[in-house]
Amino acid sequence: MKLAADRVLGIVLIGLAAFAAIFALKLQIPFSYEPVGPKAFPLGLAILLAALSLVLVLRPGPSGSWPNKTLSLKLLAVLVVLLIYALLFTRLGFLITTCFTVLALARLFDAPWLKALLAAVLMTAGSYLLFTQGLDIVLPWGYWMPELG
Amino acid sequence: MFDFLIQGFGVALSPLNLGLAFLGALLGTLFGALPGIGPINGIAILMPLAYTLGLPAESALILLAGVYTGAEYGGRMSSILLNVPGDAGAVMTTLDGHPLAKKGLAGPALGLSAVSSFVGATIAILGLTLFAPLLAEVAVMFGPAEFFALMVFAFASMSVMMGKDPIKTAIGAVLGVMVAMVGVDSGTGVLRYTFGMAELYDGIDFVVMIIGLFAISEILLMLEHANRSDADEGMPPLGRVMVSVKELLFCKWAMLRSALIGFIVGVLPGTGASVAGAVAYTTEKRLSDKGNTFGTGDMRGLAAPEAANNAAAAGSFVPMLTLGIPGSGTTAVLLGALMLYNITPGPMMFTERPEVAGGLIASLYIGNIVLLALNLPLAGVFARVLTIPRWVLVPGIAILAFVGVYQLHSDLTAIYLMLIIGIVGYLLRKLGFSLAPVILGYVLGGLMEDNLRRALSISGGDLGILWQSGISLGLWIAAALLLTLPWLLPKLLSGKATDKA
Repeated sequence: MKLAADRVLGIVLIGLAAFAAIFALKLQIPFSYEPVGPKAFPLGLAILLAALSLVLVLRPGPSGSWPNKTLSLKLLAVLVVLLIYALLFTRLGFLITTCFTVLALARLFDAPWLKALLAAVLMTAGSYLLFTQGLDIVLPWGYWMPELG
Repeated sequence: MFDFLIQGFGVALSPLNLGLAFLGALLGTLFGALPGIGPINGIAILMPLAYTLGLPAESALILLAGVYTGAEYGGRMSSILLNVPGDAGAVMTTLDGHPLAKKGLAGPALGLSAVSSFVGATIAILGLTLFAPLLAEVAVMFGPAEFFALMVFAFASMSVMMGKDPIKTAIGAVLGVMVAMVGVDSGTGVLRYTFGMAELYDGIDFVVMIIGLFAISEILLMLEHANRSDADEGMPPLGRVMVSVKELLFCKWAMLRSALIGFIVGVLPGTGASVAGAVAYTTEKRLSDKGNTFGTGDMRGLAAPEAANNAAAAGSFVPMLTLGIPGSGTTAVLLGALMLYNITPGPMMFTERPEVAGGLIASLYIGNIVLLALNLPLAGVFARVLTIPRWVLVPGIAILAFVGVYQLHSDLTAIYLMLIIGIVGYLLRKLGFSLAPVILGYVLGGLMEDNLRRALSISGGDLGILWQSGISLGLWIAAALLLTLPWLLPKLLSGKATDKA
């Protein structure tokens, strides 16, 4: 059998279906007022998913174009930047994290340093004003700064 | 019978709602014009903000519907000017739109497509006004069994009509329904697929789901587009900005025919603007392409898909408002937005919440006129939006996505979940999935299970109730026909051909 993206996907999805089915079967139902209960529907879905995925495994389509090595690294970098943004969002506060995230993302999307820096400062300030003044959203300040008000 | 519309205009003409319709139209055109940010992304990004503003349900819906129809207008910009469709509905617009721009007729092409969009949307909104109340009266007779059959029909029609790969459309829908299973089961209180995480007890939040699925995956996809070399060929000059009356009259039948096609396709559950554009374009090509000019910059080839995709956008409100079954991916998102307000659209909405149903329809009339007024003179300004570099766009989407999700519960788990869903969404798109079935499945999944269980409670477990009534039996047969015809029809036809030979 040839290795095709659809085949891998199909196998992963069959695994997911099996997992969902086992989970549904293990549900402990204390008392049910109705004939169907919470098991049947997820179980049916799992069977349907497995059947459809089997078609994918047996008759995979073209694999499409996947990113090359440099692009994959860049994708990973974008994800890491977003993850760090999430990790530090409340710890360091909105202003600092947003500024660095915009800088990093702009650089990853090929902006020159000066423009990226400018974008970082302007977009942070602009979005901060929009959210706090315009939309009354409470943004995290971070733990490092003394309460300013 | 049009009381709801009069009341609706009363709602839609209030200063706040008028302003929101205008804002929605403006933002929608901008979102539609930006490559990669289509109507769903625009709504996904704006919805949490609309929710925090504390707008009443009808006002929020008016804003978001304005974004939706505006984005269908704006999607044509990058199709015509850059040969890159601004959203899925505008794919067919590139075929004749871009050749026109290359001939130096970019300005008239933009003008003509704006008028076509207006004609398409107007006809479809009239259709919506006429048919929605009628359909709602029929739909009142729907019980749980009929609704279950209707949803099966919706998924069947979507699998067949959308995309090249029905299997993947079906898998996407099943995955969406499975995501909807997460959380406390309303019937028994049993926790399903929550893995002990308290954040998941209420299910995966709607906002988290759509922002992850659409906005985050779009950021990742944009990185690939940025690294592809074939895209940037620069923008052609606009040329004269106005379209002439003669050119408009030349296209009038193309517009009217395509508007009707678009409306009908839009009303069918599960099929949206992209299908409508394709059907209208091929029909128009067959009917009026006498000199083989389609594809080389024929004005009718531009007017047809634009009239159709805007008509489909308005038409897809019919099943959403009357049956609670969205006609497209974007109306699925709007349906979810209504559910955030504890309004479940359905046949009772015209009688119980006429201000929401009527206000929305009235605001579509107003928004459509605003859109024409904005798009004809300001085409040049909107065209400049296309030159916004990705390194500004992407951080902007990231900030809006993060704050939009964070402000829901001031909680980081939602953000991690959003990132995970974003990665899954990216992989699915790379594997050739369309995301509309996923979101449709996710929005309808809970309703589908509820209706199935309610129907079987009524019958005491007897499956027969599912196809007992004429309506549900008809829907089952229609669904079965839809699923089998693509396989059967070619065989029958070729069988006849061999008979003749």
